[in-house]
Amino acid sequence: MKRLWNIFSRGIVVENPLLMLMIGLCSALAVTTSVQNGIGMGAAMTFVIFFAEVVISLFRKLIPNSARIPIFIIVIAAFTTMVDLVMKAYTPDLSKAMGVFIPLIVVNCIIMGRVEAFASKEKPLDAGVDALGMGVGYTWVLVGISAFRELLGNGTLAGIQIMPDAYVPILFFTLPPGGFLVFGLFISLNFWLKKVFPAAADAAKEAA
Amino acid sequence: MKATLKESASLGLTLALFAAGACVALAVVYSITAPTIDGLEKKQTEESLAELFPQATSFQLMPETLVSADPAVRFTESYVAVTGPGERVGIAIKAFGPSYGGDASILVGVDAGNGIAGIKILTLKDTPGLGANATSPNYFVDRSSGTTWPMQFKGKSLSDAFEVKNDVVAITASTITSKALTRIVKAAGDAGYARLKAFAEGGK
Repeated sequence: MKRLWNIFSRGIVVENPLLMLMIGLCSALAVTTSVQNGIGMGAAMTFVIFFAEVVISLFRKLIPNSARIPIFIIVIAAFTTMVDLVMKAYTPDLSKAMGVFIPLIVVNCIIMGRVEAFASKEKPLDAGVDALGMGVGYTWVLVGISAFRELLGNGTLAGIQIMPDAYVPILFFTLPPGGFLVFGLFISLNFWLKKVFPAAADAAKEAA
Repeated sequence: MKATLKESASLGLTLALFAAGACVALAVVYSITAPTIDGLEKKQTEESLAELFPQATSFQLMPETLVSADPAVRFTESYVAVTGPGERVGIAIKAFGPSYGGDASILVGVDAGNGIAGIKILTLKDTPGLGANATSPNYFVDRSSGTTWPMQFKGKSLSDAFEVKNDVVAITASTITSKALTRIVKAAGDAGYARLKAFAEGGK
């Protein structure tokens, strides 16, 4: 149980895919202009990475080493297309706001990286837990960055006006440079978290 | 040599099996979601049409695709708005054109009296807080009358210049978006007007 918890918690701070491994950044910076987008993208990505890791881990012994990359891509693309179709049908507004970034989950390096480095070698249960940890780690960063950017750049949170009318939105934060700045702040926040909770970090290191 | 052939055959077969499995799974999801997606698109178009021509009782999809005089703007389907007694009150054209963040699509309504009946921006991928203000219900070009950016085109005569910052109010700090959308509206408006004129001259 403790071992699984360690696998799970790794993705949240110590090996956070965005803030520590620093992969999959382009879509993360592009969609984080509003909180709904952050939640939607995080959920979509978590769904895809979870099923991709579990399926690939289940079939890991049947996947020939020399054809593994195309097979990974087939599996990831299938789940991504499912998410895309489901979002188009049931959350059309969100799907419109995210545009091309949902189909682009196929080539998200976080999924490719975890599938290659973890799921193709470990048991399905471990792979699923790892995927959930990575998904949660990805989602909290996205929601955090988007809340920051939406509040300062648009004066709203999840579309609801928060700032008083007199507040003039700082457009800088909704534009790409603002995204980079906020992202940098989150990297340092993550380093601070790591320092404050060194015990968790050590435990995770042992598990890894 | 024989072994390699066998190896590659088995690789290909494994790959094909995985692809087939993925196809089956996708086909299932597609067959469940496709009717909902189609329905949503149809509903959105119907609602937008009713918004542009509240007096019309039915909309007929035109069999032909109108041709745009502006090379950057293209049209997909267009609808003729008809009232109860069978009178044509206008035409609505779905027009696509490039804007700051990729293609934007606008449903442009042209009424028989030489003017824009109204426009409805269907898709726009421009910057939130800047260009995206074109679709915001809370961004006003005239706050006192509550006119949003698309609403300023309502009743606009096609003989106007359609020049941003002249007779079209620009979105603050988003001149590119304003110009791109105005260009789409103008192209669709002209094409719609020409078609309506042809209707009037050619009878039916």
